[in-house]
Amino acid sequence: MGGIASMRVQFILSEIWVGLRRNLSMSISVALVTMVSVLFLGLGVLAQRQVDTMKDYWYDRVQVSIFLCTANSDLPNCSTGAVTDSQREEIRSQLDAMKPLVKNVFPESQQQAYNRLKSQYKDSSTYREITPAQMPESFRVQLSDPTKYDVITSAFIGAPGVGDVQDQRRILDPLFNVLRGLSFGALGLAALMVLCSVLLVATTIRQTAFSRRRETGIMRLVGASAFNIQLPFILETLIATLVGSALAIGILWALVRYGIGYLGKQLPINFITTADVWTVTPWLVGTAAGLAILTAWLTLRRYLRV
Amino acid sequence: MIRFENVTKTYRRSSQPALNGISLEVERGEFVFVVGQSGSGKSTLLRLILCEVAATSGSVLVAGRELSRLPRRKVPALRREIGTVFQDFRLLPNKDVFGNVAFALQVLGKSRQAIKAVVPETLEMVGLAGKEKRLPHQISGGEQQRVAIARAFVNKPLILLADEPTGNLDPTTSLEIVRLLDRINRTGTTIVMATHDNGIVDQLRKRVLELDDGELVRDQMHGVYGGHR
Repeated sequence: MGGIASMRVQFILSEIWVGLRRNLSMSISVALVTMVSVLFLGLGVLAQRQVDTMKDYWYDRVQVSIFLCTANSDLPNCSTGAVTDSQREEIRSQLDAMKPLVKNVFPESQQQAYNRLKSQYKDSSTYREITPAQMPESFRVQLSDPTKYDVITSAFIGAPGVGDVQDQRRILDPLFNVLRGLSFGALGLAALMVLCSVLLVATTIRQTAFSRRRETGIMRLVGASAFNIQLPFILETLIATLVGSALAIGILWALVRYGIGYLGKQLPINFITTADVWTVTPWLVGTAAGLAILTAWLTLRRYLRV
Repeated sequence: MIRFENVTKTYRRSSQPALNGISLEVERGEFVFVVGQSGSGKSTLLRLILCEVAATSGSVLVAGRELSRLPRRKVPALRREIGTVFQDFRLLPNKDVFGNVAFALQVLGKSRQAIKAVVPETLEMVGLAGKEKRLPHQISGGEQQRVAIARAFVNKPLILLADEPTGNLDPTTSLEIVRLLDRINRTGTTIVMATHDNGIVDQLRKRVLELDDGELVRDQMHGVYGGHR
């Protein structure tokens, strides 16, 4: 039994080797087109993961800021002048009452706000004239569920002593939307490339089936099963696809390791790592291999009658 | 072994049937010539036996199987009972003599030991001992046809179909090839040979089935090519 199995494996491998060699340029083109489509697919998926990574990171840090009135504020709710101590206490106790939605409250004085502004824009001349008295005092509120910021907004907007309520998510969301758009763009290109590779695989198999009609004709005549006749074609396609996918994974790995790795050192943003590449690898390779096998099988059913 | 019951085969896009209401029976171990002009339906008859085409009506029985009711996945098993030889030999040009014969066993998943035992034996029988390493283009047409016969016979089929096997060969070589088929027939293999080589048919005096325009016009034991029409 083992003899039969090893004979078969050896025979099939040698047939595949001959087939790949004889069809070298077609095999290479299948590998390269697969590489490009898996690359785009991978870029799309990784961009999605990048957005998720940044969201996780930023939403943990996102705060709702309740800006209090200053003496010379021109906000409509501040016509009565600067916030009073009792108003401040009232806001504070109201925030305490809103636990557990309110996770943390960090009060920021006018001086602290001024220092932060100065440190953020130390090279800029725009804010040189500003004084601490012009900076609004605020409560920075961290939420246990950042999506429920509107609860805070509706509770405090228009309250006595509150100038404005701002949600930082509103600033971040457009950025995330752009990134998401880019990732969908990459996935769209990937879909187009996948279509290309499916068509190329189908054409290649048609040509190969035609160029090997003598062999397959003899196989048919001596009673080889459909599976045995089709197996070398399917395995050849699979090998070309796997080579292409491996190249694509290599490129993705290098892009993340050296491209994004470099950015990560320059910017204080959480970037995806090579671990993310390994996480998506089985899905990418599985998709490419599955599609190749399915295309090969469907084409053979049509063009290699048994 | 082979039985046709009122078999008609009309190809698509063709108004005239290639075979029209044929009934015949070939017993196990018989040697039958199928004669007739080009287009008389000889090849269609062989293709029906091989289950390459299906009869439009009537029933074809081969090796105990009713072919119209044979599921597609069981067709390979039927073909393992049938060896086939063609006018154009159909050898693989990049495989040597041994490789061409071994191929028939390899694609059926036979073990290396079995192949090493059976192939030389078969090559010896067809008279090609010592030429195992030759490539098809290095041997004569008659020898190429012997390789094709060895490949058809190596799997010990019940039936051997030969479609104009001597069509590309000179008369002397043709006779040698038919003598070889006769030897194979003596091992118990049923042989159906389509031909329009009258010299051979006349010399062997086997059963002759004559087709004309898809009709069976003669079924004669120990017949000659021209018959008595």
